[in-house]
Amino acid sequence: MSVLFFIALFVGALLLGACQHSEPRAVAALRDDFGAPVTVTAAPRRIVSLNPTTTEVLFAIGAGPRVVGRSMYDAFPESALAVPSLGAALRPNVEAIIGAKPDLVLLYASQDNRPAAERLRQAGIATAALRIDSIAQFERDTRLIGRLTGDAARADAVVDSVRATLDRVRAATSSLPRPTVFFHTWDRPLITIGGGSFLSQLVDIAGGRNVYGDLPGPSGIVTVEDVVRRNPDYILASPITAANVRADPRWQAVPAVRAGHVLVFDTTIVGRPSVTLGAAARSLADLLHPGAVR
Amino acid sequence: MSPARWALLALALIGVSLLAIAVGTIAVPISAIWDALRGTGDTQLTYVVRALRLPRVVLASLVGVGLGMSGAALQGTMRNPLAEPYLLGVSGGAAVGAVLAQAAGVAGALLPLAAFVGAIVAVLAAFVVAHAAGARGDPRVLLMAGVVVGAFANAAIMVVLANAEPNTVRNALWWMMGSVSEAAWPQIVVLLGYLLVGGGALVALGREIDVLALGEEAAAGLGLEVDAAVRRVFLVASLLAAATVAAAGLVGFVGLVVPHIARAFGIRKHRPLLLASALVGATLVVSADLLGRILRPPAELPLGAVTALVGVPFFLAKLRRLT
Repeated sequence: MSVLFFIALFVGALLLGACQHSEPRAVAALRDDFGAPVTVTAAPRRIVSLNPTTTEVLFAIGAGPRVVGRSMYDAFPESALAVPSLGAALRPNVEAIIGAKPDLVLLYASQDNRPAAERLRQAGIATAALRIDSIAQFERDTRLIGRLTGDAARADAVVDSVRATLDRVRAATSSLPRPTVFFHTWDRPLITIGGGSFLSQLVDIAGGRNVYGDLPGPSGIVTVEDVVRRNPDYILASPITAANVRADPRWQAVPAVRAGHVLVFDTTIVGRPSVTLGAAARSLADLLHPGAVR
Repeated sequence: MSPARWALLALALIGVSLLAIAVGTIAVPISAIWDALRGTGDTQLTYVVRALRLPRVVLASLVGVGLGMSGAALQGTMRNPLAEPYLLGVSGGAAVGAVLAQAAGVAGALLPLAAFVGAIVAVLAAFVVAHAAGARGDPRVLLMAGVVVGAFANAAIMVVLANAEPNTVRNALWWMMGSVSEAAWPQIVVLLGYLLVGGGALVALGREIDVLALGEEAAAGLGLEVDAAVRRVFLVASLLAAATVAAAGLVGFVGLVVPHIARAFGIRKHRPLLLASALVGATLVVSADLLGRILRPPAELPLGAVTALVGVPFFLAKLRRLT
């Protein structure tokens, strides 16, 4: 009798505890790229996104009208520019974010953003720090954002469409010879992309090979002399850096530059690991293998 | 100093320069250097030597000449072994100019000019502060004024960089660490002009520096207008340093340590000391740039840091020999 009584009490307490735990009920409970739990209790109505990629993803999955704050760098799609800028994307102004009264904040998962993420959580705001540097991370985090905002189906559709385009480009270039490519991203110091970058993956899919694919990180500092030694077939550069490369006597030491093999990529498509990944791969393939992708 | 020692200093510079042209990610055989310079050898090696290595070596040696001479003149004039070309706010002022140019997005071609103007403005500000303190040519007051102007410049840099884009911060830091990796002939010709005029002026002032080095009272007793002489040396030395900063960013340590190394050869008079400091400075910066290029490929180490890494052991060895 007394044993049964205690068991009943115990089970009751458990049930009660469980009820208290699930009240209010979480719509989505996930972990972000810092490993921190992110729990939203209803589909967020006011979203702050401080990363060009996540902002573009939010607009692509139909959550754009609910974005109430962006970083100064978030310029895509064009309608995102109508959203008030809250300033920096790294070490952001936490007060400005809280002032926008968000119920979900998306940050780039850089160590610089750990303190801000911590303070936003303490303020009771669901915060997800996402590190989107590669194609796989784009796919995973786009799905994650979709689940957080309640747009999972459209997020899946976006991921599938990007993947389909990437597959089409890969198939079109897979049997072609693979020219080596130096991807120029910054002048002072000279910075290129390493194997850890989505851009290196895109070069691969577009039927090229990054001469610095052996650098483990997303990017690395290199020298013109070392570019000479690795002797790429093509230089990929933005319109501005391409003009600098063509005019700078130092770059004449690189055979590809002397041969006029400086290709200019479209900075509005190539440059962020976002919903334009498919279009970016296609535009790079059009540069490296004109006419190969139909 | 004996002719043999002068020859030794000159040979060291020539040897290090040849090595710097030959060694790197792409090896250029010493025997191929002459052909590459004349453009008669292998095309690729010609490009490597003419477009990449030679401008670097020349710019590095000119930067070393300017900083070495500037340091020797200042240390003599101030009778202070810690005096160096960046003292009067040259580095701080140049950095403010460079950072403002980068933040305004007009870097590129205008950056050297902005750095140069910043350096000159800072030096003039130091003179104004010293003047306001009532001691126009007192080296100690000028030193204090330089430190104050430098601290102000540092604060200004932090204010600008605190709100700057990450790209601006990266560019500014890169510039502040010093580099000759972007050496180009037009910029080398400009620096050479400044060195000929400024270095020539310092050598001409060599006797005055000798007198100033005896101490103010002794100098005044010998009939020298001390205040005016001090200001002349300071202005020319700062101009030299500003010209090097405009061409290669902040290259620390050279102006401080090179005169000591030159003096360790037993030179006391300032005309030979200025010339020896020019040779030692050039050798130090060319070797530092060479090491910075080959220590951690494919990246490059910042020149300003490597000059200290190379200079300290050299300095210590000379110091031991002196004591």
